[in-house]
Amino acid sequence: MRTVLLASLRVHTRRYVAAVLAVATAVGFVIATDALASAARSGLNAGVGTPYAAADLVVGESFGLSESDLEATTEAAASVGAATTTIGRAYEQLTSEDGRQLDAEASIGTVAIDAGAADPAFRWQEVVEGRAPTSPDEALVDERAAASRQVSVGDRLTIGSGTDVVTVTVVGVAEPVPYLGAPVYLPWSALQQLPSAYPDAMLVAAGPGGVAEARAAIEAATEAPVSDREAFVDERRTQANDGIDVVSYLVLVFASVAAFAAVLVVANTFTILFAQRSRDLALLRAVGARRRQLLRSVRLEALAIGVLASVVGIVAGALGGLGITAVVRAIAGAERIGAVEWNPAWWVAAFVGGVVVTVVAAWWPTRAVVRISPLAALRPDEPTDVRSRIGRRRLALGLVVAAIGAVPLAIGVAASQVALAIAGSFTTFVGVLVLGPVVVPAVIRLLGRAVGRSGVTSRLAVDNAVRNPRLTAATTASLLVGVTLTVTVLTVMATGRSAMNAEMDAEYPVDLVLTSATEAGSREVVDRVERTPGVDRAVGVPGTSAEAGELGTVGVVAPGSDVLAATRDAGAAFVVGRDEVLVPYDVERGGDVAIPERLTLVGPAGEVDLSTRLVPSRWGGSLVVAPATLDALTPEPEVQAVWALADSGADRDALAGSIGLIGRDAGLGLANQLDRRAWVDVQLDILVGAVVGLLGVAVLIALAGIGNTLGLSVLERGRENALVRALGLTRGQLRRSLGVEGLLLAAAAGLLGTVLGIGYAWAGVRTVVQVAVEDAPLVVPVGQLALVVLAAAVAGLLACVVPARRAGRIAPAEGLVAD
Amino acid sequence: MTHTLPTSPPLRPLPPSAAASARGLTRTYGSGPTAVHAIHEVDLDLPRGRFTAVTGRSGSGKSTLMHCLAGLDRPTAGTVVVGGTTITGLGDDDLTRFRRDHLGFVFQAFNLLPMLTARQNVLLPLELAGRRIDRDVQSRLKHVVEVLGLGDRLDHRPGELSGGQQQRVAIARALVSEPDLVFADEPTGNLDSETAAEVLALLRRGVHELGQTVVMVTHELDAAALADDVVVLADGQVREHLHGPSADVVAAALLGPSVAARDLGRTR
Repeated sequence: MRTVLLASLRVHTRRYVAAVLAVATAVGFVIATDALASAARSGLNAGVGTPYAAADLVVGESFGLSESDLEATTEAAASVGAATTTIGRAYEQLTSEDGRQLDAEASIGTVAIDAGAADPAFRWQEVVEGRAPTSPDEALVDERAAASRQVSVGDRLTIGSGTDVVTVTVVGVAEPVPYLGAPVYLPWSALQQLPSAYPDAMLVAAGPGGVAEARAAIEAATEAPVSDREAFVDERRTQANDGIDVVSYLVLVFASVAAFAAVLVVANTFTILFAQRSRDLALLRAVGARRRQLLRSVRLEALAIGVLASVVGIVAGALGGLGITAVVRAIAGAERIGAVEWNPAWWVAAFVGGVVVTVVAAWWPTRAVVRISPLAALRPDEPTDVRSRIGRRRLALGLVVAAIGAVPLAIGVAASQVALAIAGSFTTFVGVLVLGPVVVPAVIRLLGRAVGRSGVTSRLAVDNAVRNPRLTAATTASLLVGVTLTVTVLTVMATGRSAMNAEMDAEYPVDLVLTSATEAGSREVVDRVERTPGVDRAVGVPGTSAEAGELGTVGVVAPGSDVLAATRDAGAAFVVGRDEVLVPYDVERGGDVAIPERLTLVGPAGEVDLSTRLVPSRWGGSLVVAPATLDALTPEPEVQAVWALADSGADRDALAGSIGLIGRDAGLGLANQLDRRAWVDVQLDILVGAVVGLLGVAVLIALAGIGNTLGLSVLERGRENALVRALGLTRGQLRRSLGVEGLLLAAAAGLLGTVLGIGYAWAGVRTVVQVAVEDAPLVVPVGQLALVVLAAAVAGLLACVVPARRAGRIAPAEGLVAD
Repeated sequence: MTHTLPTSPPLRPLPPSAAASARGLTRTYGSGPTAVHAIHEVDLDLPRGRFTAVTGRSGSGKSTLMHCLAGLDRPTAGTVVVGGTTITGLGDDDLTRFRRDHLGFVFQAFNLLPMLTARQNVLLPLELAGRRIDRDVQSRLKHVVEVLGLGDRLDHRPGELSGGQQQRVAIARALVSEPDLVFADEPTGNLDSETAAEVLALLRRGVHELGQTVVMVTHELDAAALADDVVVLADGQVREHLHGPSADVVAAALLGPSVAARDLGRTR
């Protein structure tokens, strides 16, 4: 059979193109992921050790150090002549000299100050412009941050908000780094004044007594863990790598979706090809090829195709990976994305995976080959059996599988067990696939009725699309997978986003706040803010300045009902009792500032003793009291704060700039909540975009499958097409009918996938989101889903262009002659 | 024109005198009231070294008879013995091997695998059997190719050959393994009259010069008349088994038993 096998591979390779492409895409996906992950890893690995390079010992671990640890370590080190510095971090508002808010919550890092020649160079930042800081009121900025926020050497920055601010002068610009990087670096002595600052680790350079002595002294003084630099860096490196590994394994999930789609395409291709070659195969059986010989030969063919596809995939994936890495490096920075380091294990795994996928996908169609009777060679002018009945067995099997899947799905949803729900969803989906030959033609007929029974082209198209239910179902299966997943993801994201928006409305009820603890605003300020383009509404909130014991001078406000109209959640956060004072998160800082249970507020006209209630919302740092309480504090409330609501779609940066200027003129500070909301929105957008993009790979494979099937069935239907052409169908009509057929197939998959996707999204939301957020209603992003179905339909149409042209080109006489 | 060639040495010992025999052969499709009896209780002996034509009107069961005799289909009842082997009881693998080693096939159309050359097509059954192409096989091949006039076409693909040339290649394939029986199913159906005459002549030469036994199913009277013997089927049963008839005799036999009985003698 070797001659037959080789000759057949040579001749039929062209018909395997779609199958090869499908498997190659899935394999290439894996290889490209490895490339990007390894580049990220090598970028990170190079950078992890840098901050700790000058240390002999490192004190600290993942959870940071306490104040007492810091003190004890410093003393112990000093006692043996060792030098120390602290690496820490804070997250604070960053404001420029002219009041421009640069960052609502910037990450602030540390830079070691050279206090004298005796100190080793603990400073690890590379200064590319200006010089390094030498005193606590000097700072370094990161090169990229400096460019994007327009900060240069000599500028003064204000870090923090409210009473705890630090003002520094920028003296130098540092090179960007992948690890422990930050837009601004302050000396620890300055940083530690900020409320959100925390120490990450302490670096120790041994004194004249050596490392062992230093270590002994420190370990005696504190219980914080002390490690060798190497050991510490290794551990941090492992943690960082684990982070990358997690992401790359997640991406592999998408690769397996692509592989699943590829399996369906390959199985479909082989089924059709063997049906077309049944005459050849019957002839072989007639002249004496045993069933086993035939089976082995076609399986070897599948193996050869699998090897070819895997090789193509590896080459394409390697090139693609290098390309994508270069692009990402250009965007994210060469310090973060290093050189690609190939991992041979992944290559082998991808290759084997590709071969296995092809062979497994071909297994079932090859089994059908043995059923070919040698008689089929004798009457070649009989058409290949295009019709197929839907066995009752298949119907039963499909229903049973779907029912079996429904059980863990129901349990998983009810008990919020994600794994069970996923397993159940998968099984029910397989059940739907098995029922495909029943369901898909039904959907197509429905669509066909919508398309209208006008015109012979649409009639032909609908009839052709449903005549072979098994073929139709197989063709649309892979697209169904892609569309269902995409719709599920989009719907879950939309629901999650709306739930999160509701949360954020509660957490940030006001977009922009102008306030000061000491200065009062005025009607004029409110008007100016309201007139600013991009502002929807602005109100002046009545209140007063008051002394609040250990909290110092604070603004106290009592928002009335007119004020609450300018808030996002209709004032739900501002419900306050007569003897209560609400303390917002901006003041309490999640525990950084200790709030007593009772507080005495001393206003210009009187004092009130109130019980404090912590509220997890932010509105610019004023304390909120009931209007009656405010009356007790002052007879003439002033405009203590200006609250503004932004237009949706307003330019955030410009708006913050303008309002900030107004505030500066009036002596008020700006609290910008818009940035925080926007940040969450952006993260969600990125996530959705990434997921849909990754799923898009699977969808592309599926569309290749549809085009392929249509092309092959055009060949199969050659005689019929020639007949209708002879009887009077024009070339254009034939082409259009094929186009409509492709459109119907893709649209059916799109619709069915949308329905299924929404169903699975509902299950997903109930299982996952409702654990975190109560009562999250399902939000169906109708616009996005309509786009998905439309895109699928159009792509189905495009997939037919080539087969349709080929069909049109056959002259009627050619097709009718028995070959 | 005739062409006398030295006979090649036989590759296998001679089988018994009937190339193929059928006893009580029945093939029924379907069941119950809609059952179709394609052939019913057929007894037949096909002599060795003769060119036999099996003919009849459409629906007479001639194709079905051939399928059962050739081991391409399983009869509902009865036995078939070919070349001394009872094939009706064989399993599929054994039956396939039997076809490969003992039978040759020529079909009406689509005889050849389109992706193989003529030479590869001719040697196909031998390759399937895993037989080495040794000196004996090479000389047999050369002999057959000469008789059939294929010498310069062996490396062409079927797509590059005319209908007549394709049939010659098919005949060569049927003959090269020295089968007990060559089955031809409407071998001239797709050919013009000149080419058809050539193909029939080649089949005759296969019988008379290479000592083969050929059984041909045909509905064409002229083709049947070129055969040594003619089996006439009607309604699933053998009506006549004629020796050396002319076309008129065959036509008469096709029309009805009374006509043939009145005009000519018959042999059974």
